[in-house]
Amino acid sequence: MSAPARRGRRSQLPLRLGIWIAGLLVLLNGIIPLGWMLLTSLKTSAELNQLPITYLPQAPTLANYGDVFSQQPMLRYLLNSLIVGLSATVLCIWIGTMAGYALARLKLRRRNLLLSLLIGLSLFPTVTILVPLFQVMRSVGLLNTYPALILPYTALSLPVTILVLMSFFSGIPRDLESAAMVDGCTRLQALWRVVVPLAAPGVFTAAILAFVNSWDEFLLALSLTTAQSMHTAPVGITLFEGEFAFPWRLISAALVVAMIPITVMIVVFQERVVSGLTTGGLKG
Amino acid sequence: MTRVAPPARRGRDLSEGALAFWLLLPAFLLLTLVALYPVLRLLYTSLFRVNLVSSQAQPFVGLVNYLHALRDPRFWQTVRTTLLLTVITVPGALVVGLVLALLANLPYRIRWPVRLGLLLPWAMPLVFSGLVFRWFFNSQYGVINDLLTRIGLNPQLWLIRPNLAIFTISVAIIWKTSSFMALVILAGLQTLPKELYEAAQVDGARPAQQFWRITLPLLRPAIAVALIFRTITALQTFDIPYAMTGGGPGNATETIAMYIRSTTLSYLNFGYGSALAALLFVVSLVVTLVYLRYLRAGQE
Repeated sequence: MSAPARRGRRSQLPLRLGIWIAGLLVLLNGIIPLGWMLLTSLKTSAELNQLPITYLPQAPTLANYGDVFSQQPMLRYLLNSLIVGLSATVLCIWIGTMAGYALARLKLRRRNLLLSLLIGLSLFPTVTILVPLFQVMRSVGLLNTYPALILPYTALSLPVTILVLMSFFSGIPRDLESAAMVDGCTRLQALWRVVVPLAAPGVFTAAILAFVNSWDEFLLALSLTTAQSMHTAPVGITLFEGEFAFPWRLISAALVVAMIPITVMIVVFQERVVSGLTTGGLKG
Repeated sequence: MTRVAPPARRGRDLSEGALAFWLLLPAFLLLTLVALYPVLRLLYTSLFRVNLVSSQAQPFVGLVNYLHALRDPRFWQTVRTTLLLTVITVPGALVVGLVLALLANLPYRIRWPVRLGLLLPWAMPLVFSGLVFRWFFNSQYGVINDLLTRIGLNPQLWLIRPNLAIFTISVAIIWKTSSFMALVILAGLQTLPKELYEAAQVDGARPAQQFWRITLPLLRPAIAVALIFRTITALQTFDIPYAMTGGGPGNATETIAMYIRSTTLSYLNFGYGSALAALLFVVSLVVTLVYLRYLRAGQE
């Protein structure tokens, strides 16, 4: 596995080629499904109904993207996803910062029990809370509202957020905090003004994970919002209905649009996402 | 931080225990509201006949809902499907994930395309993966049947024949979940001491020997963590079969989670649905406890 001792450039060539092919395989495995949807979304309706099927679009068109926004409430779906996702992320970071700090820094009697509980909760089966959550939301009139999704999403991402933040907080020297407290900050002020800014990469990592979790969630969104105007993007797109058959040209375009924010995030912040996933975000 | 210390403020002397309590309280309240309370209510509801269709009395029926589950062939069918998907996709994702991790661990000069290849399946919503593979395996316009025809094989009714549908759904699940496995295993790979491999090379161990004798045994903890996580999520499989077949043909690909949802939200039989969900919860809880025990054993 380790790089062989330096040899001449020529004998390195097959090795470098092999590495190139390996990397290409990993990349292709990851992008082909979305890539195929992108190609599909650029084809005309006639081309999609033609046999044998075509691979590259013969007359690339953006008409499907226009139609997705004009024939379906796509903008509404994206907006719903964004509102729910951002609210859950902010709440999650706020609540998670306090809990993560307490677990990382303060003397707690039952610390290990709390940690086990958190890890256990991060594996919590969503479908088991679906039924009671539906009953509660219905009785308090929260069905088809944003809080119906924001509250459970915050809770579902919270264990992972706390675990990630905890590991980042533990890495910050205690001296900096003590210095701030000598300067007259309370412990809480030291947390918000010194520890959180220093742990900014961790906070950011946790925020990305919480946002992706919320953006991707399907089961609760499908069940707790029955009105079309309240659907999030995954639900709205899955429930697209065609006049004759499953409308693949609209679905492919919508899917590509809904993947843009997530794809940009993982391209730009990939190192953070990987580190976050392996420190505490063990969910997938 | 260089300024002179102002007089200490009030509230600063909040004891550490009290501060911890207040800092943990919001998280505790939220998790109680959204996880603990619902589970208790679930167990409670499962003891009643709660049917929203008839808004009459909701009698206490004890364990009748659970007994009904034992004699419900559709429930057993969903148990069979869920277990089948678990047994196929957990080892499947492990093997694919291991291969991806080994490939991703090579000394690349440019790392981002490889990372993107690993992260994209993880970031894609499960339902989207289901939709994409439904389109791949479409019997008329799907690219898989087109490729099969091109190499002289017969196109298949992938999502229409029950056994093939299970297989096709498994392919989608393995694609979606293997990248996460790969990320966990890759993190494990990167902690392996280089000296071991250098020593092995000096001793003349071939790469295959190095893999079986060094890499795999040292990866055991990372693999175990990934496997248990995958098993728990596999027991809750919902999104991908929902997007690919909706449970069909017939109920051949309906999972426990899908049956729970339709029992309650479509047939409005909340008592029975709660009993089914409680059963799934207990099974998940047992696997989770095994996992936590394993983690603790690893720490000692």
